[in-house]
Amino acid sequence: MTSPEPSNIGDDLGLGLQLPGHGTVDERGRRRLHPISPLVHGASFLPFGIIILFAFGGGAFTRLGLGLVGAALLGGVILAILVAGWQYLVWRNTWYWFDEDGDFRVDSGVLTKQQRRLQLSRLQTVDVTQPLVARLFSMSEVSIEVAGTHDSRVKLRFLTLAEGRALRNAVLARAAGLRADTVEAPEAPITKVPPNELGLSLLMRTTTAMLLLLTVLIVVTSFMTGGWGSVGLALITGGLPVFLVVVEFMRYFDFTVSESPDGLRLHFGLAKRETRTVPPGRVQSIEIVEPLLWRWRSWVRVKVNIAGVGGQDSGGNKEETLLLPVATRDVAIDVIGRVLPGIDLASLDWHPAPSRARRRSPIQGSRLAVAWDDSVFATRRGLVTRRMAVIPHVRTQSVRLTQGPWERVLDLASVHVDTTPGPVHVVGLHLDAATARAVADDEVVRAAAGRRGDRSTRWAADQ
Amino acid sequence: MADRSEEAFTWSEGWHPVSMKLITARRIALLLVYLLVVAGVIALFVVPVIPSVFAWIGLGVAVVVFVWLWWLIGRRVRSFGYAERADDLLVTSGILFRRLVIVPYGRMQLVDVKAGPIDRMLGVTTVQLHTAAATTDASIPGLEPDNAAALRDRLARRGEERTAGL
Repeated sequence: MTSPEPSNIGDDLGLGLQLPGHGTVDERGRRRLHPISPLVHGASFLPFGIIILFAFGGGAFTRLGLGLVGAALLGGVILAILVAGWQYLVWRNTWYWFDEDGDFRVDSGVLTKQQRRLQLSRLQTVDVTQPLVARLFSMSEVSIEVAGTHDSRVKLRFLTLAEGRALRNAVLARAAGLRADTVEAPEAPITKVPPNELGLSLLMRTTTAMLLLLTVLIVVTSFMTGGWGSVGLALITGGLPVFLVVVEFMRYFDFTVSESPDGLRLHFGLAKRETRTVPPGRVQSIEIVEPLLWRWRSWVRVKVNIAGVGGQDSGGNKEETLLLPVATRDVAIDVIGRVLPGIDLASLDWHPAPSRARRRSPIQGSRLAVAWDDSVFATRRGLVTRRMAVIPHVRTQSVRLTQGPWERVLDLASVHVDTTPGPVHVVGLHLDAATARAVADDEVVRAAAGRRGDRSTRWAADQ
Repeated sequence: MADRSEEAFTWSEGWHPVSMKLITARRIALLLVYLLVVAGVIALFVVPVIPSVFAWIGLGVAVVVFVWLWWLIGRRVRSFGYAERADDLLVTSGILFRRLVIVPYGRMQLVDVKAGPIDRMLGVTTVQLHTAAATTDASIPGLEPDNAAALRDRLARRGEERTAGL
């Protein structure tokens, strides 16, 4: 990592304050987080009292009187001071550095000491995010995730944006097997999702569109019959989807995909700007989703499973698993080609499920199919919302064959190709039983052949 | 037609069933659960406000379910089987919902060997394989303890020889 450069703190507030990069390095080369981190933590709690007052006071806010508002403000300030004080202790006790073996180390803990060592050859993702309050201070949060079953992630809060980026580059460079002082990988933008496209696509998802249509019908009927009794219902059927659309819109606002030698870089978010890097060779499987109404614009959404990401994190939050919230098919194919090089989805030879599969699944029965070529296995399902899941043979964990009672009567079976946890499930539903077994056996053989030729763990060292 | 399906879930050579002691172990567990059920049925007869018709119905249902489960345990245990092929392990199970899992040795992350108190009494052990996928779920119950340990060691050795990154 290069020596910390001076960076502007509070740019976004227009204060014009300038703090030098802190540069606290001890004799063992260990570094501290930025010294104003405790203040940033504290500041997040300032509005706490007012929020509580709003939540419980509700619409009666104006009647509550200035005294109560003052008390709430004061409560927020006291809480912020307490939090900042605690975070000062946390800051005093937190150190991070790269050790002699090239692993990333973090020592932390005020009462319980914790020493963590992240093996960077197992790196999954490095993200630099700017939560709202941190953004006001031009601070950033760096989270580093390695492959592992649980708690395999560290979060560093906070570093200046420049330091955060420098750290991300250092981590990625080491993980890729490059020298640590490699200059920041340049980014070449590939695609950007325009806000109107994002908004329109979110409104046109099948359930959302149906609920909105229902709402319009309810309102129109109420208007024609003169009774307004069902307007309450309309508020729910209309309000809920609109709320969810707004949440997703803010989350994926200005979604930008760019390419850098570290992998694909995703930037997105309105209030909370996030950055994610998807290193090549870490994508385990992908799914292309096409809701009914998206087809007239030939839009698709692309989901991915990345090892270590996409399950539930320790806080129970659903993690980021989107590669593209919405894009035209051509753009999607281009982006997919960059995370899974050499895949050719257009020329896959589909083997459909037998026609008796329609007796098991009347709606999607005619769409069900599996396909494979030298590098990937793919499945297709869904009639209203089309889904196509793709997994490289190399990423196959295990293969399962299942058969329920109704499938058994029809002599059908389903093939599951297991991948790391995430939103993508690769399953070829309701194939002819004997065919399904042959497909499963062949997939195991192809997976073994793929693993023997795999060189993706230290991708940049090969170049 | 059912025969063709049958073929899809088996492997012709080297197919091992699990120990029939597992049937006994599971039936003992069933009996223990049924102690509670019996207590419940007795309560139906004793509590004065419940008409005795309901108590008799309860008794009848409990008996029928017991017989059915007793029979089902036998069939389920017989449905388990595994085969060690050159590069992967096959595990099959299930009667109503059939499944066959193929786990390449190179994908195994850890192998668990475990046995509950009843299992230990009767000498049956479960070997469970884990990969990086949560959905893999390949467990072989009802192995003799020595057999289980030997299987675990064999699997671990083959896994090490063929281990691959994610």
